[in-house]
Amino acid sequence: MKKLIAGALAALLPLAAGAAYPERPIKLIVPWAAGGDTDNIFRPFAPLLQKQLGETVVIANVGGASGTRGAKEAKDSPPDGYTLYAVHDYIHSTYWAGVADVNYTDFEPICLISSTASVLTASPKTPWKSWQEFLADAKKRPGQITVGATLASTSHFFPALIEQATGVKFKYVSYEGLAPRMNAILGGHVDLTDSNLTQKGKVDAGQLKFLAIATEKRHPEMPNVPTLKELGVNVVYDVNRGIMVPKGAPAGVIAKLESSCAAAANEPAFAQAMKLQGTDVRYMGRPEYAKWLKQNDDLNRNLAKDLGLLKR
Amino acid sequence: MKLSRDGWAGLVVLAASLVLSGLTLELKANPLVPIGPGFYPRIVLGVTALLAALLVVTDWYAAKKAGPKVPADYAAVVVQFAVFGIYVAALPWLGFRIATFAYVAVTNALMDPPRGARQWTRAATIALASALATYFVFEHYLSVLLPRGRWTDF
Amino acid sequence: MYELLAAGLVNIAQVKYLLPLFFGTLAGVVGGALPGVTITMTIIVVLPFTFGLDPLQGLAAMTGVYVGGSAGGLVTAVLLGIPGTPAAIATVFDGHPMAKKGEPGRAIWLGVWASFFGGLLGGVFLIGATAPLAAIALQFGPWEFFSLFILAVSMVAGLTEASLLKGLIAGGLGLIVTVLGSDPVMGQERLTLGIDFVKGGIDFLPVLIGVFAFAQIMGEIERSGGKAQLAGSLERGVKLTVSHAKVIWEILSRPFQLLWFAFVGVLIGVLPAIGASAASMMAYDQAKKISRRPEKFGSGIPEGIIASESSNNANVGGSLVTIMAFGIPGDSVTAVMLGALTIHGIQSGPLFISQNPQLAYGIFAAYLLAHPIMVLILALGARWMLRIVTLPKAALFPVVLVLCVIGAYALNNTMANVYVLLVFGVLGYLMVKFGFPLAPFILGVILGDQIEINLVRSIMTDSNPWLFITRPISGGLLLASVLSVLFALWQHRRMQKKTAAADGDSDF
Repeated sequence: MKKLIAGALAALLPLAAGAAYPERPIKLIVPWAAGGDTDNIFRPFAPLLQKQLGETVVIANVGGASGTRGAKEAKDSPPDGYTLYAVHDYIHSTYWAGVADVNYTDFEPICLISSTASVLTASPKTPWKSWQEFLADAKKRPGQITVGATLASTSHFFPALIEQATGVKFKYVSYEGLAPRMNAILGGHVDLTDSNLTQKGKVDAGQLKFLAIATEKRHPEMPNVPTLKELGVNVVYDVNRGIMVPKGAPAGVIAKLESSCAAAANEPAFAQAMKLQGTDVRYMGRPEYAKWLKQNDDLNRNLAKDLGLLKR
Repeated sequence: MKLSRDGWAGLVVLAASLVLSGLTLELKANPLVPIGPGFYPRIVLGVTALLAALLVVTDWYAAKKAGPKVPADYAAVVVQFAVFGIYVAALPWLGFRIATFAYVAVTNALMDPPRGARQWTRAATIALASALATYFVFEHYLSVLLPRGRWTDF
Repeated sequence: MYELLAAGLVNIAQVKYLLPLFFGTLAGVVGGALPGVTITMTIIVVLPFTFGLDPLQGLAAMTGVYVGGSAGGLVTAVLLGIPGTPAAIATVFDGHPMAKKGEPGRAIWLGVWASFFGGLLGGVFLIGATAPLAAIALQFGPWEFFSLFILAVSMVAGLTEASLLKGLIAGGLGLIVTVLGSDPVMGQERLTLGIDFVKGGIDFLPVLIGVFAFAQIMGEIERSGGKAQLAGSLERGVKLTVSHAKVIWEILSRPFQLLWFAFVGVLIGVLPAIGASAASMMAYDQAKKISRRPEKFGSGIPEGIIASESSNNANVGGSLVTIMAFGIPGDSVTAVMLGALTIHGIQSGPLFISQNPQLAYGIFAAYLLAHPIMVLILALGARWMLRIVTLPKAALFPVVLVLCVIGAYALNNTMANVYVLLVFGVLGYLMVKFGFPLAPFILGVILGDQIEINLVRSIMTDSNPWLFITRPISGGLLLASVLSVLFALWQHRRMQKKTAAADGDSDF
């Protein structure tokens, strides 16, 4: 009852100006649909962050247009620390491929939290039993094997790197986000797609085939999937996810967010949740993250150029 | 022969689709997608324009008969839309609580003009209660954030 | 499947889900009973409350609204002779005369129990058919989905009561809404008309809320200025007690009729965007045709009530099937539910049931449980309902519109969607005034992006355009859409000969 009255008063009175941040719920924009991998990673993270910040963190899934719709919305939000943006490497690739005008420099980095290895995944309706069979077939039929991808995003870059390394040619079909790609690949409407270890259950059930993983060494969660490296394809690719805020946020807000993020990312509960997602916790604080972003941006620019996707 | 409201509606739709079709011409294709962003809109706009033209033509030749006149209070509708428009425009400036209180009070008073102090109190109470109850339930229990006023910060 | 259903029932029986289900059903019953407040409007009002809940809580509440609303309309229909929702129009025909003959209790409870049994039969279909249909739909490639969506829009356009041409134009306008703003594949800006809030594309939910809420409320204001009250024929002291065993026997002693009416309801439910009013009218018509005493219809006989009420609740089950298996809303109510799913980022469609079994079976369970809850609410509250029906519109309407604003705003916390709400509120009202049906328009808005995406995907997968026709399922669906338009053409011709065209009649 007391809480009720206190709440009623809080609702009635204008909030005292200059109250300590945060003093109302915070929105975390996830630029993809729920049930996708980005959502699966930030959903368990939000309550941990909330515990540190002491205010509700609400996830808003703003999907569409290769993830750039959410990015645009985050960019246009007031830089008051009440809108956070869940980002991954696509921010670089979509910028250089000319899909969106939103660049990583429109935001202040807060922290990097996770890294998910990409896995080349085949439809159950394809005849290949192994990477070798796939490669032989792909060389025989250039431009005929279909790949479901979010165009100009990481799921497009990863197969494109394989194309470049092996000399095969794919045909890309637009399927935005992991969930619709799974729809298509289960029904056999595309042959290949980029996925990750979150889809392990479907592989165990025989609905999907993992051809190769893009890590340095075999992953402990899926030790029977070969790495591209050991197959002689020099491609290592992972998708890194972090949190940013619109540029211009006050220093106090950024500091508070950074310390909360650090504490949340280092919780054992988060590591546990990430294990289920086939994802490694990869924490970087603000200065380190900022430096890494710069490198990653150059890397993506070069990739885009090499792949013939560069539009800037 | 004269156009009825069907014909006029058809003309409006026809004009709108033609204007939009014109705008699709300046869209450039993306090399990643074999058909450009203008391809599908042109189909949709073209088909709609065709249908609208058909509507105008059939209306032109259709036998007109006057339908029964239904009494309608269009003034009230216009006023209500206007009040709602002002509410929407004021929302980001005044904030949800103040704007909603004012909107519910005004609409209520317009639809059922209060007579005497008691009815005025009732209208004000309904407005106050609905503004605060919605705010309270949504912000505090459902974590649905409502607009805050840029002028009032409330 | 049965284990999953049992698990779903156990799951939904937790207070955390039971509470929203109960309140949803209550809201549905009340909203359904209020003349001038449709189930669509009720669910629009309930929508913002579900944003803060977890997906199953929100969907439980909405399922409750849907089931409760289909039954709630009958109280007003029987006691006042005014359908509380369009779905109860056919209930008035026999329900009201029976009440006037001094058996209001029997009339109401015949309706309630018919809703109960019809709903459960719809539920059997829902639970049995969703998974197999979803398995079929999983085999659908982009060509098949493209053709399926085209069929949905053309069928709805043809089935509206207004002219076929205007139905098709309304569908076209809906599709045009989705081409504004940005293209769904690469997010490239197009046709923004220089308006800021159009740039990201237009969400369908604020469009739907605006169109339906304003068309309805402004229509009422236009008729009465909002002042009129439902007084007059009200008797506060009606006795509604009745022997339930007798009433239930009256229904169950007609098992084949009940099955047939439920079948009609389910069928109409499965067909996109036609709605419960058509289901109850059609079932009533069927009842008359198979009856040995058709001349008695309209004088207050039980068959009339049973036909209307059992089919309009069975219709709910059918609508839920199409949305869960294909991602196509069966009517405007399920369209809002589809929106609620997308807010939580859940994709409805062929993978829905296998990817979210807990949610899917939770919805089935909520649907089944909503029926006893609905009976309970009516048993306890039927006499209070009469008071609620007399709530002044002047107090009700602004609150409803405020909730619409919250619903639009809270979608992603931007005013942009509120402006969309206003613009389409005006458009929706004008469309009704000019005799354009809203159902195809809304279906166009909902399916437009999907149609385009699947078209692009088809062409990206294989550049041969003939595949739309030569792939058997896709070709069959396209043929069906052509046939549905031709059929509608033929039927409108026939109707025009019979009667002079009715004017400006809108039906939600």
